[in-house]
Amino acid sequence: MKRLVLRRREEAVRGGQPVAFAAGLVFALVIGALLLTISGDPVLGTYQRMWDRSFGTADTLSATFNRAVPLALAGLAVSIAATMGLWNIGAEGQIMFGATAATLVGRVGADWPSPVLIVAMLIGAAIGGALWALGPGLAKAEIGVSEIITTLMLNEVAVRLIVYLQTGPWKDPDGFGFPQITVKPEGSQLGIIWERSHLGVLIALAVIAGFAWFVNRSVWGYELRIAGASAKTAAYAGISMRKKVLGVLVLSGAVAGFAGGIELTGTAARLNENISNGFGFAGIIVAALALMRPSGVALVAVFFGAVQVGGQSIQTLGVSPAVAGILQALILFGAIGAAVLSTYQLALVERKVVTT
Amino acid sequence: MQRRLRLFLSVLFALTLIAASCGDDDDTAVDSTDDASADDSAGDASADDSAAAECAPVKPDDTSSSVDASDVTAAFVYLTDPGDAGWTWAHHRGAEQAAAATGASLLTVENIAEGSPEFDQSVRDFIADGADAVFATSFGYMDAMEALSAEFPDVDFFHATGYKSNDTNFGNYFGRIYQARYLTGLTAGAATETNEIGYVAAFPIPEVIRGINAFTLGVREANPDATVTVNWTSTWFDPAVEGEAAQALLDGGADVIAMHQDSTAAGERAEAAGARWISYNSDMCEYAPNAYLSSAIWNWGHYYALAIESVADGSFSGGGTWPGMETGMVQIGSLASDVSQEIRDLIDQRSQEMINGSFDPFTGPINDQEGNEIIAAGETPPDFAPDGLSLLGMGVFVEGVVGSAEG
Repeated sequence: MKRLVLRRREEAVRGGQPVAFAAGLVFALVIGALLLTISGDPVLGTYQRMWDRSFGTADTLSATFNRAVPLALAGLAVSIAATMGLWNIGAEGQIMFGATAATLVGRVGADWPSPVLIVAMLIGAAIGGALWALGPGLAKAEIGVSEIITTLMLNEVAVRLIVYLQTGPWKDPDGFGFPQITVKPEGSQLGIIWERSHLGVLIALAVIAGFAWFVNRSVWGYELRIAGASAKTAAYAGISMRKKVLGVLVLSGAVAGFAGGIELTGTAARLNENISNGFGFAGIIVAALALMRPSGVALVAVFFGAVQVGGQSIQTLGVSPAVAGILQALILFGAIGAAVLSTYQLALVERKVVTT
Repeated sequence: MQRRLRLFLSVLFALTLIAASCGDDDDTAVDSTDDASADDSAGDASADDSAAAECAPVKPDDTSSSVDASDVTAAFVYLTDPGDAGWTWAHHRGAEQAAAATGASLLTVENIAEGSPEFDQSVRDFIADGADAVFATSFGYMDAMEALSAEFPDVDFFHATGYKSNDTNFGNYFGRIYQARYLTGLTAGAATETNEIGYVAAFPIPEVIRGINAFTLGVREANPDATVTVNWTSTWFDPAVEGEAAQALLDGGADVIAMHQDSTAAGERAEAAGARWISYNSDMCEYAPNAYLSSAIWNWGHYYALAIESVADGSFSGGGTWPGMETGMVQIGSLASDVSQEIRDLIDQRSQEMINGSFDPFTGPINDQEGNEIIAAGETPPDFAPDGLSLLGMGVFVEGVVGSAEG
């Protein structure tokens, strides 16, 4: 009996990733066109609108860049952990706690000069994210508890923590009794660098470039990749898996927390539980699309951000939100599928006889 | 959280794809995505299969306008999809009625999270599409509305349930639904046999607390021995959570359930338990015909027609508006057939008194939960006060409420 399996390609596909990616995109757009036809929406008009509102003008492109920032940093966080074969499913909570820590810094240093305040808040955010990942890191390194479970569970804890701060100690005294946290201090707003893009775009690019270099070129990064490829090889080479696991999860958390800091100083008016807005989970898709390579997350995040922004914009055209959602999912599905199929091929093989 | 969950499940699916590509032999794990739809289906009440007692829901449709606003494009941002009975449904229905009455064009977008960049994005999309007025129907949109109204002085911004405004193009609006809640409290007080009434409540914010208090004041006018127990859900719309919260109250001895929620889940639990239920947002008698007792309902069409007219003639100048039953924006829905004539008469009387301004549920003497007087005899708290007790800033429960106003 035969069955279908995925098998690693012996030779890379001609043209590699870009060609596969384009093919995946075309596939998605064709299926999407069928869907739009069935739902009675104009196919070209819809695609035109998605393009216009994501890349079409300087104004919309700058908004897409802003949206890409948290996606890219979350994707970076996930891909750093994935380099070692670890799954950080908790970027969502780390973003929230990073933003919470940044808010704490902002409350303490509301009167500081703006640049000092912003730098302090961003550092606070990274430390916050690192702390939020420290528990899962220790549990994984010391006693082997699955980081998938622990990081995921802490997301809910982060939500509850913010809700507690909203209704309790950080409740806005000028909020007429509404449970919301006081607005961020005036000096904490990141400057605008181009159209609507804020400084966070450049900061995120620098962080990603730094990490790409770090993982690909530094000794630490080299050991990381060895440890990810084979624990036995790493042990033979004298690499401490314990320290690596802990270090990589904390670092991953720090990057996600940093994203929370950027969101708070860049786009949000105040801390609330929607500050992460699903970016932490979307980061997993971004990392997957970037084939878990830190160097790829920036481009992928711009693409993903465009799909989000453009996908939302077609609702005002009269396309039902459900169809808009399916369309966004199709495009990402096509892209991920293409990424997989450019490295693996489908093959029919004989079903193995199980002898044990 | 539902949006987050959906995203997470789709990520899980993506992960299985990656995992599969790593050459694993077994074909596991794809089932997890099936759960995504389970949450949603809980909200679909089956109105058809119950052998209902007579049910004639009140669904206001008296919106009219003498103004031609056909050159106005009004855009609405919703927190959830309109569904078929809750908060967003009531707004969407009002928006459609107002658009039909005035001739204005309507744009809508749904499932926009509060405090997210998506809100900013959708308003800019609207403005690029030619919107003259933007209506945002959830509290958490307030900060972004404030910023956008400053950036787009030629567009009129209307925000529901908040407290910010300016005196040019940014206003807030809401209605005194507490008046209707007080009336539903009269029916609940008369209906309870255990003298325990349950209240499934979303978040401990002034709007919800005010509603619980007004309801309780109504309950105790009809039945001084009854108490109202509050169960917080921390969600506006989550049928599963709301249903569980109602069930806990029913299990605790409550035989009437009221709610400040957007789904019909509490009513379905009350129906199954043979208890009674008071709906909110719209008259939901079709969803639990035997349990249904009364409802506090919105008629947003009235307000939206007026708002669109003020956009059309350029008279809108921001500020706040908080009308009550006198405008028809706030109403009591249909009453169950077994509501006594005595209570019906009392409801009529109080309605008239609230419409002509001679009665307010919050006129003292009123005590807090510990029995201390918080509103003196003959006094009524102001709508708004920077310090001290006000209607808009209400943060304490009145006597007769069981539970914490802190959530």
